[in-house]
Amino acid sequence: MSTHQHAEGQLPHEPEKATLEGRNKILGFWLFLGAETALFGTLFSAFLALRHNIGDGPSPQHLFELPMVFAATMILLTSSLMSVFAVQAMHRHKVKEMVGWLIATIVLGLAFLGLEIYEFNTYVSEGHKMTTSAFSSSFYTLVGFHGAHVAFGVLWIGLLILQIFKKGLTVVTAPKIYVSAIYWHFIDVVWVFIFTVVYLMGKVG
Amino acid sequence: MSSHHSTSEGGAKRHRTEGPQKHIVAFILSLALTVIAFAAVAAGEINTTFTYIILVAMAIVQVFVQLAFWMHMKDKGHLFPIIGIVSGCFVVFLMVIMALYWVWW
Repeated sequence: MSTHQHAEGQLPHEPEKATLEGRNKILGFWLFLGAETALFGTLFSAFLALRHNIGDGPSPQHLFELPMVFAATMILLTSSLMSVFAVQAMHRHKVKEMVGWLIATIVLGLAFLGLEIYEFNTYVSEGHKMTTSAFSSSFYTLVGFHGAHVAFGVLWIGLLILQIFKKGLTVVTAPKIYVSAIYWHFIDVVWVFIFTVVYLMGKVG
Repeated sequence: MSSHHSTSEGGAKRHRTEGPQKHIVAFILSLALTVIAFAAVAAGEINTTFTYIILVAMAIVQVFVQLAFWMHMKDKGHLFPIIGIVSGCFVVFLMVIMALYWVWW
């Protein structure tokens, strides 16, 4: 049925769950995401507690520009969709198509990062630096930590694409693709809370 | 949707080929929820408390949509992932309560 033959025969329909190792990798990754949830929770709670302490620095209402945040949100949301298409292509054993979706995912991830760098740069020029106030410190820590996760995801998926070129889609490489997609969606989920709690609530006051 | 038929009944064509439709639906849903949240703030005429409620509600619904569809949590065999995420959320809940009400106020 499929043209992609695996060493031991046909690649199974859901190659990421075909081996015990693959299933354990996915389970372990979910436990990691539980810990990541707690980690982002600490950053969010610190931000929520400190967000009104703006000192002499600019206020969130003055600083944040909704169109830019909206654009960043759209980019990340679309990139999440690309990532889910990659997993679907993997389930159909269409390796080239999967790599195409993965490349679309990281290109959008890079666009998001570029926008964030531009945004931070603008803020710094408006006098909103890391050490300006408790608000600015907790803002850069939280949003910057999310940005670092995006950067890590871009690197990770980029390396996975190279590995796919080298080793092809097997029951060993498939769980990695699947898990990286889960990670990417998680980053998107965290962003939902960031644009809500940091930007929109910041704008409301 | 209807993506999890039993795969036991034999034949060569036993496994489902899941279409992109439900993911596009999830995407459009997320898009709509995002637009509502941004519009509630951009309109700026609603009172603050009500805006907060809209924002938090939109965020929570969107997270459920994304967890269920994109992170496959509605698929079978996801008990442990759900336990992992729920326990993480529990810790977050305690942390936010502590930071906001017990430590700082």
